[in-house]
Amino acid sequence: MAIRPAETPEWAIRALSEVFDPCCREKGISVVDMGLLRSVVLDDRHARVELLLTSGWCPFAARVLTDVEEAVRAHPGVDSCEVEIVWDEAWSTDRLTESARRKLRFLPDPAVAGDRNAYLAAHTPGGQP
Amino acid sequence: MIGDAFVFDGVAHPFNFTPKNAYGSAGEMFNQHLYAFHNVLTPENEPKQSAEEFLKEWTPDDIRQMVYENSDTDMLVAMPLPLTDMFRDGLSPWETCADLASRDPDRTVFWGSVNPLEGRRALELMERQVGEFGAKAFKFYNVRYDYGSPFPWRMDDPKIAFPIFEKAQELGINLIGVHKGVPLGPQPVEATQTWDMDGAAAAFPDINFVIFHVGLPFIDETCWQLIRFPNLYASLAATVNFVVRAPRLFAEILGKLLFWCGEDKIVYGSEAPIWQPQWALQAFKDFSIPQDLCDGYGYPQLTDVAKRKILGENLLRLHGMDVEDSKSRLGRPQSH
Repeated sequence: MAIRPAETPEWAIRALSEVFDPCCREKGISVVDMGLLRSVVLDDRHARVELLLTSGWCPFAARVLTDVEEAVRAHPGVDSCEVEIVWDEAWSTDRLTESARRKLRFLPDPAVAGDRNAYLAAHTPGGQP
Repeated sequence: MIGDAFVFDGVAHPFNFTPKNAYGSAGEMFNQHLYAFHNVLTPENEPKQSAEEFLKEWTPDDIRQMVYENSDTDMLVAMPLPLTDMFRDGLSPWETCADLASRDPDRTVFWGSVNPLEGRRALELMERQVGEFGAKAFKFYNVRYDYGSPFPWRMDDPKIAFPIFEKAQELGINLIGVHKGVPLGPQPVEATQTWDMDGAAAAFPDINFVIFHVGLPFIDETCWQLIRFPNLYASLAATVNFVVRAPRLFAEILGKLLFWCGEDKIVYGSEAPIWQPQWALQAFKDFSIPQDLCDGYGYPQLTDVAKRKILGENLLRLHGMDVEDSKSRLGRPQSH
């Protein structure tokens, strides 16, 4: 079950659905679908965005922050925007939307998969690993 | 040997980090990324170098000392970097790697490297690296940095990559490595993902391809590739160095690889001189996957047999070398 961002207006989700982490641009998975967005709060035309990172040493974090800020500032009700990375909550694959999960083709934990060969036969084209 | 495991290190780069070697800020950024890896992943109780000490020109003697004198490594791949559009000499010049290999011709294997976007020039250089310098394999990097305005190329590109693979086969080479994951400098991250390995592996079933760095952070993608193609392998180079600072993360990566891909498909690399090889070697030899991860996730345990295969036997086989013969000729008793 995907975790949806709390306290986030619909316009912000729409705007950020067009913003991509460089690692996911090719697959069309936005920062919203990745579950990177924790909240967007608008106070007197100033927006404050909280983001989680999938990895603390992502070398592209700076670019994502800039893209998020630009997308939020483009909204007519926003004059200024600050984007903050939050560290008090860890990103996990639970935060992915179903569509992102499908596109990323995550493998299940072996305990869930059970018999490896049977799992692969059922999930690969033509039944072959 | 470390214990009874023959150690064949799949990658060391004699880097030339001197400032005058870099073309502008993109090259400096690349160097800084590599220094950050040294600084972040070297354990607290191991010597760490300052940036000034690390960012120098590393010589063949430096690499030999680190790998053969200061660690229990038995064989090594001397591996160039062909980044001639970001560094004057490519950063780890192939000539220096050939020199490094020539110092220990039985123990050190030279891999060639070219930039496929250079067309015929790249093909001619492959001929030279094999014909005159005895290259046993090739390593590629899916980007041309072009002085800081990089553009990528794919391993499944019939016009760019396939002529290179055909030339390798013509030269008798059936082993090709590729840097995946871990974007360095201003590299477009898309080209570091592993999706293009399908096309390469399917079109060249007689070439064994090694995905370096297990494609991190794209580990699930890498597993899917290895699952479906028998001629794909994963190198733990730079990944094994998580073993001390982030052992549970390392256990999850290794557990996935062992379950889905199997112990025959994983090879070791030290990435010297970014890290001294011995601490990671010893930690890997002593490592076991935490039991709660085996119980909870169903990961197989890392057995002694698997450790022997990963540390050397698999890479020997990929080079067409007999395991027992190599062990008896080149295996050195553990001394560290």
